[in-house]
Parts: sequence; C-alpha cells; structure tokens
Amino acid sequence: MSYDKCVRCGACVRICPLFTAREEEQFTPRAKTYLLQVMDLIEDDEEIQREFRRLLFQCTMCGRCEEVCSSDVDLLKIYHEQRAKALKSAPEEFEYLNALRKALANVKNIYGLDPEDRAVFWMDELIDDIPDIEDRVYEEGKTAEVMVFLGCLMSFRATQMDVVKSLFKSLERGGADYMVMGAQEFCCGHPLYLMGDDEGAEELRRHNKEVIEKAQAKTVITCCPGCLIQLKNYHNFEGVEVLHHTQYFDRILDEPPQLERDEEFAYHDPCELHRISNVKREPRSLMRKIGVKWREMELSCCGGGGLLRMTDPDLSDKIIEVRKQKEHMEGTTVLTCCPSCREQFMSAGIRTKDIVEMLDEAFEEQGRSTE
Amino acid sequence: MKLREVVIGANASIFYRFDFSKIRGVYYPRTEAEAKEAIAEARLKGLVVTVKGGGSGLSGACTGGNDERIVLSTLRMRRILGVNESEGYVDVEPGVTPDEINEFLAPYGLRFYVAPSSRDVATVGGILNTDGGGNDTWVNGTMRDNTIRARMVLYDGRTIEVTRNGVRSEDAALEQELNRLHMTIDDIASSHGTLGFVTELRLHVRPVSEEEVIGGVAHFDDAAELGQAIGRLVDAKSPIRYGEAIVMAHPDIRGDLRPPLLIMQFPEDDLEAIRELVDVRVLTDSEVEKMKDIRIKLPKRNPVEGVQLALFEGYGLHDTSLERMQEVVAQIDDILVRHGYVPFAKYGHAPSKWYVGNNEPTYGMVMHSREIRPPEQSPKEVLATILEIVDACEELGVTPKPEHKWPYSDMAKKTRLSQLREVLGQGFNNFIFCDDCAEALAKMV
Repeated sequence: MSYDKCVRCGACVRICPLFTAREEEQFTPRAKTYLLQVMDLIEDDEEIQREFRRLLFQCTMCGRCEEVCSSDVDLLKIYHEQRAKALKSAPEEFEYLNALRKALANVKNIYGLDPEDRAVFWMDELIDDIPDIEDRVYEEGKTAEVMVFLGCLMSFRATQMDVVKSLFKSLERGGADYMVMGAQEFCCGHPLYLMGDDEGAEELRRHNKEVIEKAQAKTVITCCPGCLIQLKNYHNFEGVEVLHHTQYFDRILDEPPQLERDEEFAYHDPCELHRISNVKREPRSLMRKIGVKWREMELSCCGGGGLLRMTDPDLSDKIIEVRKQKEHMEGTTVLTCCPSCREQFMSAGIRTKDIVEMLDEAFEEQGRSTE
Repeated sequence: MKLREVVIGANASIFYRFDFSKIRGVYYPRTEAEAKEAIAEARLKGLVVTVKGGGSGLSGACTGGNDERIVLSTLRMRRILGVNESEGYVDVEPGVTPDEINEFLAPYGLRFYVAPSSRDVATVGGILNTDGGGNDTWVNGTMRDNTIRARMVLYDGRTIEVTRNGVRSEDAALEQELNRLHMTIDDIASSHGTLGFVTELRLHVRPVSEEEVIGGVAHFDDAAELGQAIGRLVDAKSPIRYGEAIVMAHPDIRGDLRPPLLIMQFPEDDLEAIRELVDVRVLTDSEVEKMKDIRIKLPKRNPVEGVQLALFEGYGLHDTSLERMQEVVAQIDDILVRHGYVPFAKYGHAPSKWYVGNNEPTYGMVMHSREIRPPEQSPKEVLATILEIVDACEELGVTPKPEHKWPYSDMAKKTRLSQLREVLGQGFNNFIFCDDCAEALAKMV
C-alpha cells in the first residue's frame, strides 16, 4: 500500500489546514498514514477505530500534502479508499450523511430540492438581461456547441446568483452557441466521490454523460472545480472538452475591456482547481487581461473542501478564521473562481467575487461609457 | 487509549511502533506556565517527560523509549517574541521552524543561518537538542554555534537560563551548582531532551549575505577520491558556502546525476584556489538548483519497488575515515547486503562541521544513508544489522553524528549528561540512560 511509503518526515504537517486550525498532530496527513502503518497494533481498540474513522472525514482533501510529499504517497487516493472503507464498516457513524445521500439518490441534487427547480431559481433573475434565456435550457432534441454544467451550488444557492448572471451575460457577449442542462442536470457525483461512494457517483455521471452526448456538445463549461474534476476525469467523454469557465473565457477573449478599480484585491486559488486540475495560468491571465491588480495569497485551503463543511463545520469555520487573520483579509476583496470557496469566504464575512463577475463588470462599464 | 496518544508516536525515525499504553498523556502547551503544569502533573504521577518537536529527527529520542511517560509537544509554542536588529538576535519559542524565523526576518534584511534540509518542519527546540545543522555548517556552524541563550524548565518546575558562558537561575544555589559544573549551551546541544524543556531561545541572526557565489560540480572515480578531495578542502579551510556530496544513489532516484560527486557553491574569486584542490566544473544557477533539488529529496524518495528506510544515520567521516571512504562505504554495504538490504543512497554535507561528545568540533563529511528494506525482517534482525554497523563504525574510526546517533553510545556526552542530571533531575527522557535503551528502541522498529 502506498501509505507504507510514508517516511513520516513531517513535510505535510505545517502546511495542512487542519493542523493550522487545531495545532495537534492527529489532524495531519502524517498522522493518518502513521495510523495505517501501525493499524495492526491498534485494530482491537474500538474507540480508536471510531476516532480514526471520524478523523478520515476531518480533512479538506485539498491535496497540499500530496503536493509536498517527496515519498510518492498517494494521499488523496488513500483518503478516498479509507473513507469508503469507513463508511462501509460503520455506516451508523455516518448517519448525518444519509440526508445528502438520499437527496442525491432521489432528486439528484445535494439540497433535496425539486430537480425542476434547477433552471428556475436563476431564470427569473436573468430574463431582463437575456430575454430568450429559456431557450437556452436543454430539452431532448436540442443541440449546442457548448454545454454549461452549473453544478448544485450555482443552481440553487441565492448567494451564487451574481456569479450565475455574470456567467450567462458573458457567454452572450462572447456569442457562444450554448445551452444549460437545467432540470436534466444531475449532481456531478463529487460529494459521493468524496465519501468514497464510487458506485453512487457513477450512476449520476452516467446520466450527465448521456445528456451531454445527446446535446452534441463539443465543450462543457463549469464554474465549479469539484464538478470539473468529475466531468474531466470520470465521465470518459470522447470528443468533448471540459473547461473551467476561466479557461473558456481566457481562451475566447483576447482583449476584453479594462476594469478600473481602486480597491485591494487578492486571488485565492481553489485547491481543486489549481492543485488537482492544474488550472493556474488561466484565472490569472483573465484577470490580467481585464487589468485587475491583485496580490497572491498562500496556496492554502479555505476550509470548504472534502465535505468538511458537513462533517465538521466548526473545524471548517476555524480554518477560514485562522486564514483570515493570517493573511489580513479584512478590507480586501478576495477574488476566486469556485462557488464553494466563495461560500466559505462569505461565511467568514470576507468580501469576495468570482473572476467572471469582474469580467462582467468590465463589459458593463464599457457599455456605460459608450452610451 | 485515545487517538492523540497514538499519533504522537509519528516520527521520522525507524522507531515508531510503540506500546502506546505507556503514553499517559499528551500536552500541547502554549506558554511556559502551561508547560510547567504538564510537567508538574507528570511529577505528581511519577511519569517521565518526553519532549517532541517536529518529529523529523532520526535518533528516536522523541519516542521516549518504553517508559511510562507524558509527551510534551512544542508545536503550539511557535511565537516569535522579538528581534533586536542592532545586536543581531531573535527571541523565539521552541516550536518555531527555521523557515518561519526567516520569513519573519526577511523584511529586516536578516537571516537565521541554520538550515537543515528539514527546516520547514524541524523546530528550533529540537534542532538545539540534536545540535542539528545544514549543508552550510562548514560556514555557519551547528545550532549550538547560533544559540545565544536557552531558557529551560526542569523536572522540579524550576527554570534556568543557559548561555555560552554559564547558567542563571532565580534559585541561587542551583545557579551556583550548575556554574560550578560549567554548564553551558554546549550541554543542551545534543542532549536529546534529557535535561529539561526548552521554552525560549535567543538565536543569533545576521544580515542577509549579499555575497555572489557560483556553483560547480566535481566528479570522482570512486568514494576514495571523493573523501580525499573533501579532506583537502577541509585542510585548506576552503571558502565553500554550500557543499553536498553524493556518494551513491540508486538509479530510481538519481536523475541525471553521476555519483560520486560533490556539489559546491563558493565566491567566484575563489574558483582558481578551489580548482587547485578539486577538478570543479562551473554550473549555471539552474543546473545547481536542479542538483540541489535532487539531493534534498534523496532522504524522502522511494524506489520504484519497495520502501526505503534510514537504518543508521549520520556517519561522521573525518581524518583517516574520510581518506578511507571507499573502504568505509564498502564495509557498510557489505553488512547491508548480507542482511538483505539494498543500498539506496549515500549523501551528505561536505565539507561539514559537527561536534563530538566532548564538545570538540570535527570536520569532514556527515554521510546519510538510505536502504531499501527487505520485505520481511524482524525487529531483532534489524537491531542485529544496526549493531553490526555500530561496531564497524568503531573499527573504521567513523564518528556517528550525535544528531542521529543510535544507539546513544557517545560515552563522553552520556557521562556529562548524567552528571548534570544529578543536579537538574532525572525526569526527562530517562530511557537513554538505561541499560536496555537499545532493546527498547529495537522493539519499536
């Protein structure tokens, strides 16, 4: 097993967001691999086994540990496998995840809301700006070059409405032949994947793949780095390119209008985007193109990943609070491009914007100045 | 038993399989007062105190042996207390890493010049207790050379401040007694947590060097040539600012490198003088960085098949053992192969400086070693291999660096620590002084 390769050097200790928040060794990646290495010595202790199963879900799955590991330990794979094992061996300890699992099984979204509402929440908001937005919603028989995969957060959360509007308005301005999956969009499967439930995730993916293929889309765009991971790595598309929205707009826009702002900006790289999907250049390139000046932030997690908001919300809150203080975020607008990170920043009272909102503002300002 | 008590056993040494029930408490104090409370608790229950920093050391000292113990971690004592630019020092708590100190010092144009390869993990408290150093000890010395003062809590709760010249304490009798014994920073250096709990350190810092250096590499036909070249550099007191030798490296991890080789950085003006001693080829900055990167990852990387481990660490080659490096390496490898290990990597700082038990500085190469471990081997067999290496080192005149020494067999240092513990108390890391120290550690392999 790959955890045997851990030499317990500790390179992963201080960079772990869980350690930063709690400052105790048991939360670190080294601790988790260590426990697996000495499992034969503790496997009879039921209390420790229970604690260990809980510990596996006290992780943001940000992948920073794997990035710094020089011993080739596949930490994310280990967590994935061990979470699956934990869920299987002691389902009664994870009853709090059942609501989510049931929602995904029944209505295919994480909120347990009517699937028909996927295309309803944001539609009314856009009708003035894009009168024929309803035509952009997928129905059997319709085709488009570009399919927008909104994801559960963007589809249902009112807090994401501004991003959704900016996204569609930017797509319109770019003249894209696009469609949105609407009620036919199922959850991408990422939450189940993070639990180690590959089977459940696969079921959701199968449907999404079918719809996207029927729509004959050549490109799928998503704003959510979690969805991006699933669509790109686990849907096995042929002839379909999956892009993060920053990649898409950076590609199609050579000289977008300039945005003049005096406020202080910082850029937060979403872990699942820059570390796992290796998308680092395009968000920066797009910001540069619209003239945004920002300071770089530490390549650290916001605390919102790995289901931590659900499995240990206090810990998740603590991570962002520690980071807020350490990186002096008060008075700064944190730019990012992940709905989950945005939620996390907002919950900590940090001003935040998605890059596509900045892009939209640039176009809006240009429009006003030419009127 | 709680998970946090098990996890505290995670450390970089080969000794990590404990009887966890012997750990009776784990404490993460934030302040000296909290540390004193934890120590008082141990005292009350008659338990030994084992101090742990980053857990990146390889000696096994932070394991605590087989004693019933509490573990006192420094990981929450990580404040930088202040910097004095004019006098060139920084006051810190023991759980801070060199990287954190240098990040703090950067705006001041100052630097703390102790840089072990684990500088992002190792704590300054731990580095002092192992007298660690980095690839620049030749220039900047080891941790003891860069420590001005250390404040320490003793097992009975009293505190002392130890400097290069002596001890101060609120307890006049204690101060007098320790000064009679001439206790200094040299004694805390390499004491492996056996004297007390360091709660604060004053560290020497200097302006960031503006010196321009160039990099180069020298290749050798065999380890004998490499050892002799290092010997010449030592004798000539060569102005090497960074020196790393790679004696051998397994094909899985050596990249484009062709060991034996010596990577060096030095002032450009000294190129000719160095060329008189070794046949050095000048490298571009990026070539040097690439080589450094391969080197720094050697202790952590694994072979394509199997797993590496550090069976015995820090072979100190100096004087005749340096000249006979080929023979030393051959004998070590012979032992390893006979016991089923595959030699994986041998590398280390060179020229380098370290101290032996009587506090005499020694110069040469501190050679680290990694082996691919056999699939099945009992702790007893591992111990047998290690003991055979220890005997071979004795014969070959190789002085294990105290930082990594195993088993703890530097009699001069051990005798001195025992003498001080008569006064300071015997409650910290007792196992190192017990006759069954080797057996206790072997059980954890």
